[in-house]
Amino acid sequence: MDVKVQQIDSCRWRIPREGAMRTDGLVFADRKMMAALQKEKSQALEQVRNVATLPGIVGPSIAMPDIHWGYGFPIGGVAAFDAKEGVVSPGGVGYDINCGVRLLRTELTVDEVRPRIEPLADELFRNIPSGIGSHRSDLKLSLAEERKMLTQGASWAVEHGYGRAEDLDHIEEKGTIKGADPQSISARALERGRNQLGTLGSGNHFVEVDLVEEIGDEQAASVLGLFPGQITVTIHTGSRGLGYQVCDDHLRMMQHAARKYGIKLPDRQLCCAPLTSTEGRQYLTAMACAANFAFTNRQLISAWVQESFERVLGKGPAAMRISTIYDVCHNIAKMETHMFEGKKRRLCVHRKGATRAFPPGHPDTPALYRSVGQPVMIPGDMGRYSYVLVGTQGAFDETFGSTCHGAGRVLSRHAAKKLARGRNLEAELAAHGIVIRASSRATVAEEISESYKDVLDVVSVVEQAGIGKIVARLRPLAVIKG
Amino acid sequence: MNCFRLLEHTADMGIAAEGECLAALYVQAALGLRQIVTACSYIEPRTEFPVEVQGEDREELMVNWLSELLFLLESRRLLPAAFEIDTLEIDTPGDCRLRARVAGEEFDPDRHYLEREIKAVTYHRIEVEPTATGWRAQVYVDL
Repeated sequence: MDVKVQQIDSCRWRIPREGAMRTDGLVFADRKMMAALQKEKSQALEQVRNVATLPGIVGPSIAMPDIHWGYGFPIGGVAAFDAKEGVVSPGGVGYDINCGVRLLRTELTVDEVRPRIEPLADELFRNIPSGIGSHRSDLKLSLAEERKMLTQGASWAVEHGYGRAEDLDHIEEKGTIKGADPQSISARALERGRNQLGTLGSGNHFVEVDLVEEIGDEQAASVLGLFPGQITVTIHTGSRGLGYQVCDDHLRMMQHAARKYGIKLPDRQLCCAPLTSTEGRQYLTAMACAANFAFTNRQLISAWVQESFERVLGKGPAAMRISTIYDVCHNIAKMETHMFEGKKRRLCVHRKGATRAFPPGHPDTPALYRSVGQPVMIPGDMGRYSYVLVGTQGAFDETFGSTCHGAGRVLSRHAAKKLARGRNLEAELAAHGIVIRASSRATVAEEISESYKDVLDVVSVVEQAGIGKIVARLRPLAVIKG
Repeated sequence: MNCFRLLEHTADMGIAAEGECLAALYVQAALGLRQIVTACSYIEPRTEFPVEVQGEDREELMVNWLSELLFLLESRRLLPAAFEIDTLEIDTPGDCRLRARVAGEEFDPDRHYLEREIKAVTYHRIEVEPTATGWRAQVYVDL
């Protein structure tokens, strides 16, 4: 079905309100991206329009430039709902609850690390469980301990000796979403989670050793502790089977809830319940558990990254000074306060494949970064580059403090594998100075650079629109995948 | 004819299945799910798990059936070799049921190879419907 779009300026497009829509759609994209969106059969624009039909939506149904088709909500979608009149939708968060990115800084330079990059990649691959069915034998959780972890989030990991208390200041929500109640989690979710804590997973999840290749904003880079030639580490993973099961369980419940509350759905995956309903509240408490699982997961993996660096480089913590720059969620629904049409509003902001990007001066931007804005990490693909951004006032004013989250796939897995056939992908990456370790051959083929949009195009739109500011570009040296 | 093929999608994958009867259709969809996870053909029926699922309609029953197999794979590490459907009731609206036995063996990294992790079975564009010669289904999974 064709979706009507009107160009607002060089990077904004409106989907005008019509039919069952309660508000406009607002898509951030350049002309080329919009042409591709209008051509594709995956109907991501239709999904932006579908979201605009949900009760209690405040402001437009927003899509970031990395928009692509998702289940129910599009990936790259942002939608805010009134705390009293609005709804919460598991499809607005996604299966991988609190999938997110953590960026670690070091005092190491590329010259110190490059000669040891092969053994470092081997050690990271050995030390961090990745791929299906693998987990650390030294991390066994009792049910009681799992419940505690789900309530406490990253601070549970710190309490158990993984990382330091100061890491918590540099995690969104300090690594714990409040209101998490393990009673709202099914036995099945608990079971899926128990063996998967401290695992990377497969697909597009990764640990990357990167090099700071270029600085875009010297002042912000210096505040974030970034300098050219520096080694950083990026961790991209989420809440694993526990989060998938929480989403699955609540999608099922909300199919019934939507009928019960008379909410008309243009797509079954958009099922939702009023924020004030029992079903809505239950989802939020369960979602908080899954989000806390993901924060803990990235905290554990960070500790094993540090351990791996120490083993391979033979340097102690004081010499390497590995620390967390920031850890952001890009699949989440959060209760936040925003100014809308001159009034302070309490809203449930859904970010699905979108990142919080709070401005300088905001109380939720960590004290260390308050002069420059909240750090935002935008991974590209394994063969090219990733970007570090900071949040802006523009994002706070226009997108409920949100920006993009990544590159976005353009090729199906089958098409990627076909393109990869007969090629030596490891050798191609090596020619670009990148080593890769992966547990599945299929993953490497399906994750080739050509599978993704050029992330530079995505962050350029974001910067031009003023909803994010580029600080630095990172280039991978070693990639660990499931 | 009883068969399945995998459907392509930008980020995810789907299964298109056909069956001469409804039970055969649910088996073919399960074989499709296995194909997404592993291309292994050497899985032996060493152990058997009973499966019982319920759904509002035949579409929800399909999602729940495949989700159950996913759960067995993740939590029991069960690679399925064969599916035997014992009972299938879809005539009571709001209460469709399926009882089956799933035979297979525990994942052994020395002998088996897993290609992809499925996050979940979705309701997206789900279809389970009669055709002139039997039944057809379409279901997408999140990868």
